[in-house]
Amino acid sequence: MQTKFKLTAVALAWVASTAFAADPIKVGVAGPFTGGSSSMGVSMRDGVRLAADEINKSGGVLGRQLLLVERDDEAKNERGVQIAQELISKEKVVAAVGYINTGVALASQRFFQDAKIPVMNNVATGSVITHQFDDQPENYIFRNSAHDSIQAPMIVEEAITKRGFKKVAILADSTNYGQLGREDLEKALALKNVKAVAVEKFNIKDVDMTAQLLKAKEAGAEAVLTYGIGPELAQIANGMTKLGWKVPIVGSWTLSMANYIDNAGPGGEGARMPQTFIQEATTPKRKAFIDNYLKTFKPKNNRIDSPVSAAQGYDSVYLLAAAIKQAGSTDGPKIKAALEELKAPVDGVVTSYNKPFSKTDHDAITANIPVFGEVKGQRVVYAYADDQKKASEVRVKDANAKGALSQTKKP
Amino acid sequence: MQIFTQLLFSGIALGMIYAVIAFGYQLTFATSDTLNFGQGDALMLGALVGLTLVNLGVNYWLMIPLVCLFGAAQGAFVERIGVRPAIKIKSEFGWIMSTIALGIIFKNVAENVWGRDDLKFPSPLPESPMHFLGANVLPMEILVVVGAVLMMLAVEIFNRKSIYGKAVVATFNDRDAAKLMGINTGLVITFSYALSSTTAAFAGVLIAPLTLTGATMGAVLGLKAFAVAIIGGLTSGMGIIVGGIILGVAETTTGFYLSTGYKDVPGLVLLLIVLAVKPAGLFGKSAIKKV
Repeated sequence: MQTKFKLTAVALAWVASTAFAADPIKVGVAGPFTGGSSSMGVSMRDGVRLAADEINKSGGVLGRQLLLVERDDEAKNERGVQIAQELISKEKVVAAVGYINTGVALASQRFFQDAKIPVMNNVATGSVITHQFDDQPENYIFRNSAHDSIQAPMIVEEAITKRGFKKVAILADSTNYGQLGREDLEKALALKNVKAVAVEKFNIKDVDMTAQLLKAKEAGAEAVLTYGIGPELAQIANGMTKLGWKVPIVGSWTLSMANYIDNAGPGGEGARMPQTFIQEATTPKRKAFIDNYLKTFKPKNNRIDSPVSAAQGYDSVYLLAAAIKQAGSTDGPKIKAALEELKAPVDGVVTSYNKPFSKTDHDAITANIPVFGEVKGQRVVYAYADDQKKASEVRVKDANAKGALSQTKKP
Repeated sequence: MQIFTQLLFSGIALGMIYAVIAFGYQLTFATSDTLNFGQGDALMLGALVGLTLVNLGVNYWLMIPLVCLFGAAQGAFVERIGVRPAIKIKSEFGWIMSTIALGIIFKNVAENVWGRDDLKFPSPLPESPMHFLGANVLPMEILVVVGAVLMMLAVEIFNRKSIYGKAVVATFNDRDAAKLMGINTGLVITFSYALSSTTAAFAGVLIAPLTLTGATMGAVLGLKAFAVAIIGGLTSGMGIIVGGIILGVAETTTGFYLSTGYKDVPGLVLLLIVLAVKPAGLFGKSAIKKV
């Protein structure tokens, strides 16, 4: 009786282990697939799908297929929290990629941190995201998007130094994203001994920007620096047209969102923003990515809704896959350790990732990587011809790159 | 002064947007003492249906009557499904939940049909601003103000002059007595819902070129319009217009003179004051409810 029981147990264990080996590797994907941030969320998700597809076709990771568990966080903090808990305890994901909205990322990723599951933020840019758990010995939060402490100084450099504006106004939305960005902009301006002549706020879904724009105009602003998302940014451009007050808009990378470009129309032309990726086939890798994306998802007018999100989403999966492969395991702490010292370079579309992360540095993008994009003819193109000429030289991470604000953890 | 004129104009345009939506609340309240909390979503559906028609090549002005027809059907549907059962069993609150629920369903349907992004509604009028008293006004803003006033006038005249309008007024005054007088009150209530959603759909295509068009456009607007309806009084057409303008101008002027971070506060403070001092609204007639 007893031997029989043992045999059964062994048989069961064997069956279970083989079943386990064939099990797919579950990766959580969280982002806003609805609402005002959806052009970023959906492009990110499609980039992620594209990468996962390619990896699965070439045999998967550790002989297992990647299985994406996609959830729509609706850009709402509380949804993000629910999803994080669901992904961890019910779906048992080995890692998560995503997060578009800084607020959602900050609210949700603590659950992954507690569960020792790595998170790769591929779009959210709030500076604090990778520093939320600086006081803990192990940090499971990584990022491959250009954080605000890079973007804000770039915006200021462009407006104050390159284009010589002396008076600038800041218009930022009232979300975490807008307000953290506004702080960074003010800090970056202070480094140039400039103070914004007007600092204004607006809410998501506001339809009238007259008051904000009039204040900026009255203060004599020569340019408007923005931190917001597409639809409201479009209302700013439309409001300018209405007031007959046209000054250049320079702002965070969200000015490249399709819903800004489409809704602002001709009034939105000329806006400039830092971009990690511009939809131009400047290298064979980028060409393959763009062609594949257009073929698979068929976006309107062959324009990716948010090229940056798509490219970063795509790269995030490759980074993660490389780490799982190197770790030889789907164990959270081991993947994290592998991410912190990736041995083989990962060839992405934004850049070639050569040791993108270290124990203390969880940001893959440094100040030297993004370039300036400009809205022209309803697309985002290189703002500077020089950047475009040199675009085929992939800019790689330089940890000593100047231009980023020093990051301090906020209490 | 020039600044103030600009703020005033923008405030009036914004206020009239709120007022046209608030007008819809008033219409159903007038007959059945119920409100369609899905008013914002009726507006959104109107705008999106209008956008689809325009994209199919229908002229903007020809599209408006079609959208109004759609709105009427949608309103009648809401009344039959959501409100009538509640009125029948004399439920005090059933209609609140059912109109909200229908609103959410409409929003979800719209998200699946039209996608989740905000879309651009092509403007039927030139988009360059006109100069007026030293301030800039968009032709579309004038159209909103004129269209809103015309629509409200039309409905008011209908209610006061036509026999059908009298039935509506009678139903409001005393539903049971009206029934005894041979008025089909059920039909009148359905009609008022159809009319209410018609105005919402009309408001939708009117304001869509100014705001952005999308499945979520109704939420904030519907809520602000509700505040307008409360401030102005749920029984007064005049009150709706005045309430709308007050809220709109309060928003733009506070935004400029105080802080854009506080621009929604004065309107809501006003709402609280009105509720405390004159619960029927600035222009509303306070009715004594006999139990």
